[in-house]
Amino acid sequence: MPRTSDRLRPEGTGFKAATFECMGTVISLTFPDSSAGAQETQDELAAASAVVERLFRELDGTFSLYRPASEASRLARGELTLRGASPGMRARYAEAHEWRLLTEGAFSPERPDGVLDLSGLIKAHAIREAGRSLHALGRRDWCLNAGGDILVSGSPGPGPDASWKAGIVDPVDRSRLVSAYAVGGPARHAALATSGSAERGEHIWRVESGSDFIQVTVAAADIVTADILATAIVSGGMPMLDRAADRWDVAVLAVHADGSLMATPGFRA
Amino acid sequence: MKARGTLAAALASAGILLAGWQAGTQAGGVSTLASGTTSSGTTGSGPTAAGATGASGTGSSGTGASGTGSSGTGASGTGSSGSASTAAGTYKGSAVQTRFGAVQVQITVASGKITDVTALQLTDDDRKSVQISNRAAPLLRSEVLSAQSADVQTISGATVTSNAYLTSLQAAIDAANL
Repeated sequence: MPRTSDRLRPEGTGFKAATFECMGTVISLTFPDSSAGAQETQDELAAASAVVERLFRELDGTFSLYRPASEASRLARGELTLRGASPGMRARYAEAHEWRLLTEGAFSPERPDGVLDLSGLIKAHAIREAGRSLHALGRRDWCLNAGGDILVSGSPGPGPDASWKAGIVDPVDRSRLVSAYAVGGPARHAALATSGSAERGEHIWRVESGSDFIQVTVAAADIVTADILATAIVSGGMPMLDRAADRWDVAVLAVHADGSLMATPGFRA
Repeated sequence: MKARGTLAAALASAGILLAGWQAGTQAGGVSTLASGTTSSGTTGSGPTAAGATGASGTGSSGTGASGTGSSGTGASGTGSSGSASTAAGTYKGSAVQTRFGAVQVQITVASGKITDVTALQLTDDDRKSVQISNRAAPLLRSEVLSAQSADVQTISGATVTSNAYLTSLQAAIDAANL
């Protein structure tokens, strides 16, 4: 029997979130409360989150360089060559190399020491695959956030007219937001990714010393494009930002070391 | 990119227009105008530009000035024998669809010379004006889309480690929704 308080509560104002830890970060899956009730939302969320978590763990098991037994670690040690690698490994390797060409080297799947490192792609790939799984489960409205990289579907409210609103951390003061961007719903982009040198900057190899971006946020239709371009712009600086804005349908917000901003028109108030 | 290509192509075609006029003057006869892009219809008084209907630049990849401009189909002009000095007015090109919405270019001609090229902004699907260029520019913090923590449902930041998550804004939001 529905409680009166549930009925009185405006729909779409509440959310349920499930979190788990993987790939060195925390992944949050958020559903808006459905009209069916909070408990039902909670149950559906738990089931969906389990699917997403399994997917992340499988990919992490294959691609993590922190796991000595992973396929990626065996490749790095030379015990395995790409010729003998799994189809999944080779597909990601091919995809990463395509991005290296598209970004003229600003994004690279290899560390300076030559070790293959697909970690710059795998988290976004996991988010992309999780999104497909959620759609396959019939979930329409959700927000998936993996360590600050976001993919959404549908809207946060009961109707289709609202977009999710993603806040962007101010790298100068991480307790504050520097901006926000609408994703999903009627908005142009469904994905938003931020890269920077603030927390795990060591995974970005700067190819041009001219770049002084400490944080770059890219919104795009898909999470892989958003994530890779964000990484590439931190690495490649202003020339890469211009290339990205010209070539892809993206919105970009970049923060200089002195805290000043550079943005494409999509971020202008 | 398309928008700038269009603009550049318009400049190129305008140059060809001028060349056409000059050729016409020299020959003392009817000139043939080759126009690469966009000009169709006139709003000004220039009689010699009436024939400048070109193929609009809707190539799938951003072509530069030389590509689009020189390969234009260029309707044959009705160019009168008028000398270049009589050409004057403003001429609007046709609207061209780009991924930022429709764009349109206008040139202003005085004494046979282009004195101004303006990119007219049309509308996008939302009926709001759009920026023709997606280029990034410096913005003051007061000029970006702003947000209060209470207004957002999720937080994007540079890759948050598991430890950093504990003190992050995202953790606070998740905690409120758990």
